Amino acid sequence: MIWCFDFIILLMLVTCAFAAIWSKGLLSAGMILSAYSFLMALLWTEMGAVDVAFTEAAVGAGVSTVFMIAVVYHTRRFIQPRRYGRMFFKLMGLLATLILGGLSLYAASDFPSWADPSEPASLHVAPYYIENTIRDTAVPNVVTSVLADYRGFDTMFETTVILTAGLVAHAVLRRLGRRRDPNRKTNDGRPVEAHTSIVVQRIARIMVPFIQLYALYVVAHGHHSPGGGFQGGVILGASFILVGLAYNIQTVLARFSEPLGVLLANTGVLLYAGIGVACMVLGANFLDYGILSRVLPGTSPVMARSHAMLGVEIGVAIAVSAIMVSIYINTASKGYHDQGL
Amino acid sequence: MPDFFVTMGVGLCILMFLTLVRAFRGPTAIDRIIGVNVIGTKTTVLLVIIGIVYGRVDMFVDISLAYALLNFIATLAAARYFQHHKELRETGFFLRKRDRR
Repeated sequence: MIWCFDFIILLMLVTCAFAAIWSKGLLSAGMILSAYSFLMALLWTEMGAVDVAFTEAAVGAGVSTVFMIAVVYHTRRFIQPRRYGRMFFKLMGLLATLILGGLSLYAASDFPSWADPSEPASLHVAPYYIENTIRDTAVPNVVTSVLADYRGFDTMFETTVILTAGLVAHAVLRRLGRRRDPNRKTNDGRPVEAHTSIVVQRIARIMVPFIQLYALYVVAHGHHSPGGGFQGGVILGASFILVGLAYNIQTVLARFSEPLGVLLANTGVLLYAGIGVACMVLGANFLDYGILSRVLPGTSPVMARSHAMLGVEIGVAIAVSAIMVSIYINTASKGYHDQGL
Repeated sequence: MPDFFVTMGVGLCILMFLTLVRAFRGPTAIDRIIGVNVIGTKTTVLLVIIGIVYGRVDMFVDISLAYALLNFIATLAAARYFQHHKELRETGFFLRKRDRR
């Protein structure tokens, strides 16, 4: 009976993908991609990958659509008709799609069936992780222990990638020392500062503390339930984005200033790498948390791994939330940091 | 009992499809925004229903809560967009020259 879910959701996903490409308005395409992200989260939940679904929920509902809308706001909303070589580009695109799509369909026939215990991915290290995670790290959620402990090195560099993205967005978009005329008009002759709504502001005032509290819960409870540093960080960043949307950019900057954002983004990654270096100083390998039981009072090596994972997750959360806020402010205000979406 | 919830979930999926039609055809952009927002609301419920079917509601309710708390931010951003740009209709092929910015 559960295949009905799969069938309907996959059908809707394909329809969404086609509609997003067909749509001439870029804002509509962004909204349809937001629906795509909802459906993708549903599909992952249905397949039992709750941590991935949680990431999709936080990123898709919280930030990615807002970034797309902010970019459309500062560029243009409709696709420009191309003047030359249209047919040629279309034919080449069709050819490339047919070849690549045919190859992927051909390769898909060789894939192992879903949740097959004898597939290559579940033969090598996966059984070890599943059987020994409680004994090694005392963390019930296998995904968290794989992410932050067994594969901690990968996660550290993933966080560094996010930091790089944030720094690049800052370096490319930020315009220092220039100001815009606060009384300027938009393209269709309206004043730029939109009037704010009292209803939206009150709702934001009520919701933001709950969202932030929930973000902290997601970070702290990642050992036992889906979630962790990345998801919590995105939710925390989304709460500041909500303040920016309900009030304005200045209100966010008063609470989360630019130097503080850059400092926190780097501190988060430094905290992660610092825990790794601390392990090296104590005489173990980089990110081998067990040795930290010598400095953490009253912990066994197993619990030291669990606590160090929490520290690492907090570092990820700090970095991710600061970077999400920074990217939003830079895209929404076109780098001027005065008025936003 | 799980059959009851699966049936309900499939029913919600079909309702979601109808909302999706509105999001695609839209005549105005506001129709699309509302359509997508309703899909988000239905997703919140569907996640809990999937949790009940699998017998692990405690795992799935977290994701559902994240949607419940964050679902309206994208809608709010799109609404803020239309405070500046009042052109709602998106006919696509027959754009006036003024709108092709």
